[in-house]
Amino acid sequence: MLFSSISFLYYFLPLALALYFVSPRKLKNAALLLASLVFYGWGEPKYVLLMGLSILLGFGFGLLVEKYRENRAGKIFCAVSVSVSLAFLLCFKYADFFLISFREATGLNVPLLRLALPIGISFYTFQIISYTVDVYRGQAAQRNLIDLAAYVAMFPQLIAGPIVRYSDIADQLAGREHSWHGAAWGIRRFVIGLAKKILLANQLGELCSAFRASEEKSVLFCWMYAVAFALHIYFDFSGYSDMAIGLGRVLGFRFQENFNYPYISASITEFWRRWHISLGTWFRDYVYIPLGGNRRGRERQLLNILAVWMLTGFWHGAAWNFVLWGLFFAVLLTAEKLWLLKRLEKSRLLSHFYTLFFVMISFVIFNADNLGQAFSDLSGLVGGGGIPLVSADAVYCLRSFGTVLLAGGIGATPAVRGLAGKISQSTAGAKVWTAAEPAVLAALLLVMTAYLVDGSFNPFLYFRF
Amino acid sequence: MDRTKKDVVLCVVFGLLFAGGFAACLFLPKPKYSDSERRMLSPMPVLTAENVGSGRFMADFEGYAADAFPFRDSFRRIKAWTAWKIFRRQDNNGIYLAEGFLSALEYPVKEASLERAAGRFRAVCEKYLTDENKVYFCVIPDKNRFLAKESGRPSMDYAYFERRMAELTDFAEYIQISDLLEKEDYYRTDTHWRQERITDVADRLAAAMGTVLSHDYEIHTLEQGFYGVYYGQAALPLAPDSLQYVTGEDIGLCQVYDWQNNREISVYDMEKAEGRDPYEMFLSGSLSLLTIKNPNAPADKKLVMFRDSFGSSIAPLLISGYSQITLADIRYIHPDYLGQFVDFEGCDVLFLYSTLVLNHSDTIK
Repeated sequence: MLFSSISFLYYFLPLALALYFVSPRKLKNAALLLASLVFYGWGEPKYVLLMGLSILLGFGFGLLVEKYRENRAGKIFCAVSVSVSLAFLLCFKYADFFLISFREATGLNVPLLRLALPIGISFYTFQIISYTVDVYRGQAAQRNLIDLAAYVAMFPQLIAGPIVRYSDIADQLAGREHSWHGAAWGIRRFVIGLAKKILLANQLGELCSAFRASEEKSVLFCWMYAVAFALHIYFDFSGYSDMAIGLGRVLGFRFQENFNYPYISASITEFWRRWHISLGTWFRDYVYIPLGGNRRGRERQLLNILAVWMLTGFWHGAAWNFVLWGLFFAVLLTAEKLWLLKRLEKSRLLSHFYTLFFVMISFVIFNADNLGQAFSDLSGLVGGGGIPLVSADAVYCLRSFGTVLLAGGIGATPAVRGLAGKISQSTAGAKVWTAAEPAVLAALLLVMTAYLVDGSFNPFLYFRF
Repeated sequence: MDRTKKDVVLCVVFGLLFAGGFAACLFLPKPKYSDSERRMLSPMPVLTAENVGSGRFMADFEGYAADAFPFRDSFRRIKAWTAWKIFRRQDNNGIYLAEGFLSALEYPVKEASLERAAGRFRAVCEKYLTDENKVYFCVIPDKNRFLAKESGRPSMDYAYFERRMAELTDFAEYIQISDLLEKEDYYRTDTHWRQERITDVADRLAAAMGTVLSHDYEIHTLEQGFYGVYYGQAALPLAPDSLQYVTGEDIGLCQVYDWQNNREISVYDMEKAEGRDPYEMFLSGSLSLLTIKNPNAPADKKLVMFRDSFGSSIAPLLISGYSQITLADIRYIHPDYLGQFVDFEGCDVLFLYSTLVLNHSDTIK
């Protein structure tokens, strides 16, 4: 089920919240789990069982790891748990990719599994892995299966993150505060996220689709596409994260922030501290540092960076362009570590330009269907293939999407938040905003409902990861 | 208002919105048909274990939830207004407004589609016609011809379109009519041309095909406004068109036979004039095969017209020059079956198609 759908907003959410808030404190996690299973099963009925099995295994291994933590067996149980979780992920997400690659390399006609990708498997697998590893590292294992299942399957963050660490919300699972303030904060955050998705991301996605469908590519159109997709993926994904964080807060949870205005970064290193923070920190804590991080010399550190970014790329999708995307960042981050970062510090303007340029290029690679299309899109940026500088399609789209692009550009910076902060700091502004806020947010919800009623089905990009 | 009160107010407002929305979705009556969109709305899917297990129930429910949402048309208008006025979008769902006219973006020229259409027409000629049949071909430009480029929208190269179609249909004599048309010859809210404004087009076609038309015309106007197909798609608050139709002595005497339903019909269906799509009043809308007989005309002048919906409104204007016009819409009847109903001997044949159909010729059988 999508957050940005009528069925979620006006059927599921009222029922789920009613069920949750009428449930006594002791049963709230059970209510949350029930709602989450319906939410997940709505899109993937058969894969509820797969998720259930993953949770059961995570629960069992968590107890075993805790019991034998001090012995070698604890390490083995932890390794088996991680391996089993990864095996599920490999089987359902990557098996056909490897089989196709094998076919291409050997010419052997190996049959494909053709399994549908279970939605959110990359996210909940990483959560289960983080749980058992955290238990191995000393975190108390969860002794209540319902509480652990509620953590893994929690509908606000189940299918597109943020990747919530068990250690971050273990206490909140046991008992959390529900307040008017928290709920109001969550509602604000949810509505803002929904607006990012429906009003900006979807329209930017239309521009990207128009580019793909166009038979009249031009250099201008290729650049518009690159800018539009970079904004599209940001508003799509950060919008989802906002909604997840907001809904979590309504339910009394505090999730980790996942985005922090990544497009104002002055380096790729900074960009990845601001983009998909929960994934970046997950790879840092569960892959990079266990591999040795920067503690085993420069050469080993660079190798670790390469490994982490290849895996990061691969996590995003079972295709070579994602691997290339990850390696692209590995190269940039390595260059920054070795010498580039110091040079970038000399010119703030140049460093911003550099960051935006390479991030944009990376997303062109990211969004291609295959490597061939990635190179074709990239060559279009410099007029490759003899395409003209300007085409009628590009000019029309620039006129039609100019306001959306401008709004997206401004919205991707802290300018709006800064303005809102200034208004609320002035006495008169604060009074006006206090009175107007519910009406403004309600009007925003109605406009977004209008888009949903009029529009077609728009899945979030990160569902496929 | 202190912070707590403010938070309570916000929670209550949104609680009411979601709960109210839920109740409205559940309990308000749900229309089965959307007049503005001219389509059946998605019904509530059947709840069975099989449908749930396969995920079909959920997939269908998404469509139902959006279609059955209370005050759907009002919400669609809000969306259109926001797209137009706030985001300054140049079109809404592919429909744009220029100089008071609504039109759908039609771009670019689809070469393969033109070739397919010409191929289908050629196949008809090869199957049914002899050298004695005179064959004509005519392209009706859609409204974009006069609106798109002028309003900064992407536009097809209409001159090329016509030239290319004429080349591809070298078995027919090409009749050009685009120089006779202007945007005012089309409804503001619909795809079609206005019958009362295309008498000159009818004259040009008749002259090219060697016949003369009576100009005994009388123009009538429907009382109710005509909201065309683009009106519903655009969801913008625009005034309706007025729909006019032409009568005359020959038209009044005509007998029309609908082969699809084996029945006599009238040239103008006044029931349909009051229905969901008043343009369907012209020869009862989309019917696959019709014969119009005119007892006033010389018996040897017969025409077979292969046409789309634009043909419905021009055929009555042509009837004074023919004793019989057969209208075949090969989007709805396969040409292989035509021989059972149509005798092509001694007939002139006209292929009269709009650019909209030619550029999407998958629909032609």
